[in-house]
Amino acid sequence: MFEIGFNDSGQVAVSGRLDAAQATTAQEFLDAVGDQCVLDLGGLEYISSAGLGVLLRTHKRLMAGDSALELVNVNKHIADIFRYSGFDKLFIIKAA
Amino acid sequence: MQKKYKRSFDQIQAIVADTERFFAEEKIDESLRMKVDLSVEELFVNMVSYNTETVKDILIEMCRINGGIEVSLTDYDVERFDPTAAGEVDIDAPLAERTPGGLGLYLVLKMADSIHYEYHDRKSKITFTNIAAE
Repeated sequence: MFEIGFNDSGQVAVSGRLDAAQATTAQEFLDAVGDQCVLDLGGLEYISSAGLGVLLRTHKRLMAGDSALELVNVNKHIADIFRYSGFDKLFIIKAA
Repeated sequence: MQKKYKRSFDQIQAIVADTERFFAEEKIDESLRMKVDLSVEELFVNMVSYNTETVKDILIEMCRINGGIEVSLTDYDVERFDPTAAGEVDIDAPLAERTPGGLGLYLVLKMADSIHYEYHDRKSKITFTNIAAE
């Protein structure tokens, strides 16, 4: 089950599996975020290239406006995917 | 395990559940789950997205092998498309030059311990293995 929403700290909390079936839901939510955004990935169990695409599109949009997408609470499995895809060089990433 | 799935992203949830069940029944090393889930999704999504000339279901087969798992996806009545010949992705490129395209197959090739493609009689089959580290 995939969930995305704001947590008590004002961060965007993502949990579950961000796959091709959930990418549109995630993209629509993040398209409405208009400023610096911290994404809490502590509950994210899985991400595929469709989910990586959502992060990349959002990051590029925010960077164009001098903001950025920051990824926090990244677990080892997700960090491995970021490393394989080179995302560890594109994003500010903080481990869990 | 042999099972056919409709050509829809909505099937991903069922595929994940079937994969989880197969891992448990065959006592396959759970450390391989992420790689297998990701490779199966990427290949399945690729078939659904680009082989639009067919309406036939996609066959997924899984079998236990020594130290790991072998997985095949077969698409019927389609043109030849060899995922093992997919272009390179420059993962060191700066943000401005990065696009999501091609990343899925790149990850499959990166994570598979072996991968093989065959095509005949308009049947496109990709087989990969993942072996647990000792």
